[in-house]
Amino acid sequence: MSSLAIEVKDLAKTFKGHLSIGRIHALRGVDLAVPTGVIYGFLGPNGAGKTTTLKVMAGLLKPDRGEAKLLGVPVGEKRARERIGFLPETPYFYDYLTGAELLMFFGRLHGLGKAALAEKVPALLRIVGLEGKGDLPLRKYSKGMLQRVGLAQALINEPELIILDEPMSGLDPIGRREIRDLILSLRAEGKTVFFSSHILADAEMICDEVAILASGRVVSQGSLEKLLSGEVRFWDVSLSGWSAEAPLAIGQVVTRHDGQLLVRVQLEDDVQTLLDAARSAGARILAVTPHKASLEDLFMSQIPGGAK
Amino acid sequence: MTTTPKGLSLGWAQTRALAANTFRESVRSRVFYILMAFAVAMLLFSAVMSLLTIGSRAKIIIDLGLTVTSFITVMTAIFVGIGLIYTEVEKKTIYNVLSKPLGRAQFIIGRYIGMMAVLAVNLFAMLALLGLLLLLFKGFTWKIFAAGGFIYLELAILTAIALFFSSVTSPVISAICTMAFYIVGHTSSALLESLAPRISGPLGKKAAVWFFHLLPDLNVLNVTNLISYDIPIAHGFTARAIIYTAAYVTLLLTAACMAFSRRDLV
Ligand SMILES: Nc1ncnc2c1ncn2[C@@H]1O[C@H](COP(=O)(O)OP(=O)(O)OP(=O)(O)O)[C@@H](O)[C@H]1O
Ligand SMILES: [Mg+2]
Repeated sequence: MSSLAIEVKDLAKTFKGHLSIGRIHALRGVDLAVPTGVIYGFLGPNGAGKTTTLKVMAGLLKPDRGEAKLLGVPVGEKRARERIGFLPETPYFYDYLTGAELLMFFGRLHGLGKAALAEKVPALLRIVGLEGKGDLPLRKYSKGMLQRVGLAQALINEPELIILDEPMSGLDPIGRREIRDLILSLRAEGKTVFFSSHILADAEMICDEVAILASGRVVSQGSLEKLLSGEVRFWDVSLSGWSAEAPLAIGQVVTRHDGQLLVRVQLEDDVQTLLDAARSAGARILAVTPHKASLEDLFMSQIPGGAK
Repeated sequence: MTTTPKGLSLGWAQTRALAANTFRESVRSRVFYILMAFAVAMLLFSAVMSLLTIGSRAKIIIDLGLTVTSFITVMTAIFVGIGLIYTEVEKKTIYNVLSKPLGRAQFIIGRYIGMMAVLAVNLFAMLALLGLLLLLFKGFTWKIFAAGGFIYLELAILTAIALFFSSVTSPVISAICTMAFYIVGHTSSALLESLAPRISGPLGKKAAVWFFHLLPDLNVLNVTNLISYDIPIAHGFTARAIIYTAAYVTLLLTAACMAFSRRDLV
């Protein structure tokens, strides 16, 4: 029994091009190894192939080459979809159903009976913040509400692995925060959450591991800690009351405004030198902020055309 | 894969859920009620027509009424049928359904059963109204329900055709192909009868007969004349109609399932 929730090997997929001329290489040999019990971010710019990969996992697309396993079961088998939850990119639902009816329907597709669903549906609606909205037809749901009911249907079978395509899209900051909390609580229950996103801040906050996909290939993959080696890249020093015109042999002035000064320096020793100079010039030190490498820096350096 | 009894009952529960959802989709759409209103209007119209003609009023109501009933349900089968799979793919509602633990064949069969349930309700409602009219004109006969049974067999075939096309191509092409099937189905036997005497040689005749057997023949299900002239329907006729329908539906649904299972859902 492997301890991998998702195992993808050399996955390749092409699509017919415009007017069937040529082929579009959406995936060019994707490898992924997602351990169980983690929150895994699947990141990449538009068109990188995230949705294509997720559709292969959900059994909607057949890969040209390579294989993928969910909880040890090859995708494409019915069994592979028993213990997973899936949220497609922009959830489209039967708009003639109410939110509760939709969840009932998907519950039945998982073999759940009436009694189980009568308990489960209201509970799920509450978890995703749609309490009291269950009897409203989906036609009348807002984009964010559809996203939430989409999340609810992905959880109806108490899946061990939850695969979400852009779960935060269409949500306001409060909604995004709620979804982040929900994902964290799923991990606390021992579940694996695999989600795609290009909102790096969201990913950085909650992911244990990430993979960065660009042009159909994984360009880096691993734990966030390792990828963003804890090193400080630069310090910002904020000062006031320093009137000297050309004070700085060290660092570079980022802004100068109303007698306040923001100086960026690269080395820790330089920070000390700068602070000494500032004190002896009678300036006040307002703040010293170390800046570590962020996911965004990593992302930009990995994506072709991203590095400036 | 092994099909345990549990697997079987889960499979059936899923298919039933899909069918129920298809049914609900239909009865919550406006088209359903427009068609029903149209059907009621046409049936009342045929009753009015009978007042203006000489001869047996009941016979005219039966003839016109059954024609109207057949026409409207056939149109429903074709024009709803061609969207059964296509719209699910087009509207992307299918992504969520197929990411659940069920096979694509189940999806096809579920949609088919749901649609046949809708047509059963349509057909029964129209026949009930026709029966009421006949009671009013003192010409009621249970035969209209026998005729309804044969109409239902035809609907079963046409829905399977429409569904097959819906799972492989666009609604416009599906509509053209299904209509073509319908027309050929109603003319092929007449065509064979008129052509057969002109084909020379026993071999040529045999070949022609075989060729026409490949074409759909919806006249094996046609009891309009029998009902209209009050000729009893032979058991052999009924059995042949049922077997013919079952074979056609099985063939078409199998083809639809095979074609659809191979498709990428993008
Ligand atoms: N049905 C299709 N036909 C042709 N090309 C397609 C199809 N679906 C995807 N592609 C192409 O495959 C590539 C990957 O698309 P995909 O949707 O997987 O990207 P993504 O990473 O999900 O992007 P986004 O962040 O915008 O959602 C793109 O170049 C896209 O144009
Ligand atoms: Mg995408």
